[in-house]
Amino acid sequence: MSRALVSSLAAGLVVAIAGSLFAGVVWLSPATIAGALSSTHTTLASLIVVDVRLPRILLAALVGGILGLAGAVLQGLLRNPLAEPGLLGITAGASLGAVVAIYYGAAAAFALATPLFALTGALAAAAAALVLARGGGTLALILAGAAISSLAYAAVYLALDLAPSPYATYEILTWLMGSLADRSWHHVALAGPFILAGAALLLLTGRSLDALALGERAAASLGIDVARVRLLALFGTALGVGAATAVAGSVGFVGLIAPHLVRPLVGHRPSAVLVPAALTGAIIVVLADLATRVLRGSAQGIGLGVFISLVGAPFFLWLVLRTARRTE
Amino acid sequence: MRSAVAAIALLLATGAAAAPVRVMSISECTDQLVLALVPPARIVSVTWLSRDPTTSLMAHAAGQVGVNHGLAEEVLRDHPDLVVADSFAAPTTRALLHRLNVPMIEVASPETIGAIREATRQIARAVGALPRGAMLLARMDRTFADLAADPPLGVRVVAWGGGGFGASRGSLFDALLTAAGATNVAPDAGRGGPDVERLLVAAPTLLVMGADAAPDLHANVAAHPVVRRWQGRSVTVPQAHYFCGTPFIGDAALALRRQLHAAVPR
Repeated sequence: MSRALVSSLAAGLVVAIAGSLFAGVVWLSPATIAGALSSTHTTLASLIVVDVRLPRILLAALVGGILGLAGAVLQGLLRNPLAEPGLLGITAGASLGAVVAIYYGAAAAFALATPLFALTGALAAAAAALVLARGGGTLALILAGAAISSLAYAAVYLALDLAPSPYATYEILTWLMGSLADRSWHHVALAGPFILAGAALLLLTGRSLDALALGERAAASLGIDVARVRLLALFGTALGVGAATAVAGSVGFVGLIAPHLVRPLVGHRPSAVLVPAALTGAIIVVLADLATRVLRGSAQGIGLGVFISLVGAPFFLWLVLRTARRTE
Repeated sequence: MRSAVAAIALLLATGAAAAPVRVMSISECTDQLVLALVPPARIVSVTWLSRDPTTSLMAHAAGQVGVNHGLAEEVLRDHPDLVVADSFAAPTTRALLHRLNVPMIEVASPETIGAIREATRQIARAVGALPRGAMLLARMDRTFADLAADPPLGVRVVAWGGGGFGASRGSLFDALLTAAGATNVAPDAGRGGPDVERLLVAAPTLLVMGADAAPDLHANVAAHPVVRRWQGRSVTVPQAHYFCGTPFIGDAALALRRQLHAAVPR
């Protein structure tokens, strides 16, 4: 069941990525895309496909994948269906890092300043959560994360208040809404390794999460080092989600919803949720990015994060209601 | 004789090659300068924002050329000879265009009269329109000289522009007020303009409001009973006059001077 699910999700992701290549400002035919991918000299189509769309779509898949995976791991680790990277302050920390880069003008000095600052912010937030919750249980970790999250967002809004020019305010707001517009291979090269490293750490937690489902004490009695699992999960999330937030801005909701979408299909073993949740997250973000490119209308287009929440929230509500009715 | 003709022909040829034929602007404020400097036939597109007369002085001219949304795909599709951008164009887009070796100039968004001169000259040079740029700047300077020749009004004003634009020190709106001969008595009010208490303390003779088609949060303050004490003692400036820095700020200052003259209670 699980293997069939994983392969069909993987196939779905490949179809979504391939389909995504066609659409945008310029609509391309399959023959043009094939030509662009195989040709050795530069044409308009090859520039658009290879240098503009491919990096953007790959980033969408990476960002969605790590958000889904991190959501699944954190929901397992904290045994809380509302857990997601945003809950532990990691998204907020990354946002703060990026906003500092924009506010102090580092972003204007070099284009990769925002990603680098964001990654630093995410790691700092995760480290702070771990230190604050040291010795405490799951609840302590959630509370520490929530506190760090509030603090980081307060600092973000403080920066908005103090922003030196309308330009900085505008930049910060656009960034907070999340976007993959015009991301290049630079961004893939920057975020990719961190996202993959984060994913590897997160996948290492699978077995322990199954044991943790029985409770922390039971898991410890089974020989699971709870502190180590926690470290893996948080550090992996900070690396992966930090890098993702660094290049795409804050993209909410995917981490929350992706595990819930696949859980009914794989049963409730936390480790079985991980890979399907990652693939589902990747599909969601690839399709959402496609939608923001197609549904632009007269204005500048819709922010990626905004679009996902707008479409995702009603769907999630429906899912919650359906689950509640079933369990009554 | 023949060699002289050849030399002139060569000069013409290199001159033509030096000027980019088709220009594309991907920021609203560079749109204004490109539309002012380059004939529409040579403009591929400007941003869709420049068709909105609320903030764009060149809305009419923008209607005669194409529009873009500041995206790299649009630039690649239209392959202009030159892209003009400022810091409002997304940094990711500018970085991507650099990577793809798209010919592009980036200007700083002008916030002062000096910066307007610099940006106008920079774009004029890049699009091969130096004489037109010099003409626009000379006209601006002439208008300022005329304004300066008149005794300054010294009328005490407080301004807000709506949409997050105020006349804080160093802003274009502040420069416009000063050029028109007004004294900005709340230059530290921050973006968006002063709050009601500051307004009372500053006690200006006139309020200068930005005409703003879209309602915003600041409209609530304008409806405050205290603010309404200035009803009949206010002038309204189109937001487009200080939204972007252009050489037309001279004309804007002249228009504001006339309004102030008419509104100052005697």
